[in-house]
Amino acid sequence: MSIEVVDVRPHERHYGVYIVKFEDGTERIATVNLTPGKRVYGERLIKWGGLEYREWNPYRSKLAAAILNGLKFVPIAEGTHILYLGAASGTTPSHMSDIVGERGLIYSVEFSPRVFREFMEKLVDQGRRNVIPILGDARFPYQYAHYVKGVDVVYIDVAQPAQAKILADNADYFLKPGGHVMLVIKAMSIDVTAPATETFKQEINTLKERGFDIIETVHLEPYDTAHAMVIAKKKS
Amino acid sequence: MAKIYIATDVLGFFALDEAGNVVDKELYEKKPDVVAARLMELEKSNYVPEIVKLIERIKPRAEKVVLEDPELARKLVAAVKGVEIVGESPSHILVEFRRNFPMYLGALGLTWDEYQKFLFEVSDLVTRLKLRQAVERRDLFIAQAISTLDDVDKILNLIASRIREWYGLHFPELEELIRDNKEYVTIVYHIGHRSRIAEDALKKILPEMPEERAKRIVESAKKSIGAEMSDWDLEQLKIYADIYLNLDAYREKLATYIDEAMKEVAPNVRELVGPLLGARLIKLAGGLTRMAFLPASTIQVLGAEKALFRALRTGGKPPKHGVIFQYPEIFRSPRWQRGKIARALAAKLAIAAKADAFTGNFIAPRLKEELLKRIQEVKTLYAKPPPKAPTQPAAKTPPPPPPPKKGGEKRPPPRRERGRR
Ligand SMILES: C[S@@+](CC[C@H](N)C(=O)[O-])C[C@H]1O[C@@H](n2cnc3c(N)ncnc32)[C@H](O)[C@@H]1O
Repeated sequence: MSIEVVDVRPHERHYGVYIVKFEDGTERIATVNLTPGKRVYGERLIKWGGLEYREWNPYRSKLAAAILNGLKFVPIAEGTHILYLGAASGTTPSHMSDIVGERGLIYSVEFSPRVFREFMEKLVDQGRRNVIPILGDARFPYQYAHYVKGVDVVYIDVAQPAQAKILADNADYFLKPGGHVMLVIKAMSIDVTAPATETFKQEINTLKERGFDIIETVHLEPYDTAHAMVIAKKKS
Repeated sequence: MAKIYIATDVLGFFALDEAGNVVDKELYEKKPDVVAARLMELEKSNYVPEIVKLIERIKPRAEKVVLEDPELARKLVAAVKGVEIVGESPSHILVEFRRNFPMYLGALGLTWDEYQKFLFEVSDLVTRLKLRQAVERRDLFIAQAISTLDDVDKILNLIASRIREWYGLHFPELEELIRDNKEYVTIVYHIGHRSRIAEDALKKILPEMPEERAKRIVESAKKSIGAEMSDWDLEQLKIYADIYLNLDAYREKLATYIDEAMKEVAPNVRELVGPLLGARLIKLAGGLTRMAFLPASTIQVLGAEKALFRALRTGGKPPKHGVIFQYPEIFRSPRWQRGKIARALAAKLAIAAKADAFTGNFIAPRLKEELLKRIQEVKTLYAKPPPKAPTQPAAKTPPPPPPPKKGGEKRPPPRRERGRR
């Protein structure tokens, strides 16, 4: 609160992402708060030009880390429908919810009741209506197929081996033609220059075999030393 | 005769032909709670009446019925005779159905916005019901954990006073210099013989200790009139001190567990009075559901049953508060305000427990706000003590002394000080 905001401008590439500039010259990314006055994970709220923004912390959200590390293309904009696997307590889903707005939808799947309780408190109870909470197991899409309709994006961050398979299975169920997938993979060692791990290669291979073109891969250092973000598109 | 595909949705079931046309449907009664109950079953791969009805009806026209949940398909085979039922995950026709769903909605006379609103309501309700089930009997685990915590506190006190007495033979002056049991025991365990007590040694094991106090301790150690103690004698004392410190670490873990578990089981009660007091109330009530059924007046005196029964027997004054006395705004307030604050708190707790037990809604912030307002009111309206009543009140019923405890919760007495006895 102590540092004054001097400017807020839209991100040059990513819809719904803003760059907040502070008087000391530092810059942060943020999204427009869909539920003004409410915080989801203790993030800073910023008022500017009659709008309220929520700072998007790259140490807490891997998507923010990927954006700061120069991700070229994020397939999310106003009205996008997303299937989010591994929603946890909703840190990243909350910013997506800001970006896609009232007309968008985030089907949020999480299987741990413990963390999902927080999701309910912080997102649903605080008034977000563009998230559909689903307490379920991403490995069995048919168990939640009655909620989910066609989606533009499937995002996965379940911190489990064989994520690419789970992702591809869900895409087979729900992804619209021409849709994108986003995958957070455990990939890198602490050493940035070290070659990609076996798991990483395997996961990428799985995606290719299941009919995806890899569009982009971004490391998440220094925000996260163990992961990378991969964006791919279903071959039409 | 052809294949018929069954699509599942929050609205009900749709039967589709191989071209993706809806040939029949069986919809739920469009009420979130009715639908939620059905979906809870379906998500466990159990069938519900509507799907059986639909398959019975289309059976004559279908040689094969396809659905996506293989487990459900297997169970239906046993329930519906005379037609082949198979699982296919995913099924191409059903994938197309989901992709083109807005088109199907149109045929039902629903807009997407209306549908999305209903979808949200249903998924919200199902999730809450599942979260509830996930913690079903955990309230009883919490009751055990809080009882254990109180046991551990008693044991810690017991061990600490023994160690103080024992080590006091060697370094009697330390007794008055260190009131906190854990600090005292830490010194015994890590330093031992008083000749080894030095400022840097103290700094290392108790970094928070003010320098000035450390100096005093070192001084007293030098001048101590206590008996000599050999390492061989000290050894036994140290083992016991180690047990104390380990038990103390366990207490820490237990308190964290209670906090986490309370977040799941009774977030509203926790938010109102903190995890430990909340857990004590649940324990005294005999579980969350029972607490939810208790009237506020009973919640107000939970833990003061003895005083209550004595009052009933002797016709004396009933107690004004039981364990909720541990709530800071009660024990910190002057006597004549406590009963009123206790009543207000108990009323909010009754609502909070109901929300936790039945709806799962998080309403505590509002309750808390109302409570604080009422407390302010009591404090201004009853700022002065009432004039002394001429008649002598019957036996005073002091609230039960709150169990000693520490950390995590605001509480009345200073933590685990050595009692003067
Ligand atoms: C790294 S966390 C996700 C953090 C979140 N994506 C964010 O950025 O805010 C991984 C989550 O995936 C969940 N998870 C793991 N396996 C899962 C499965 N099979 N189905 C659904 N959720 C799963 C875990 O419970 C955990 O909460």
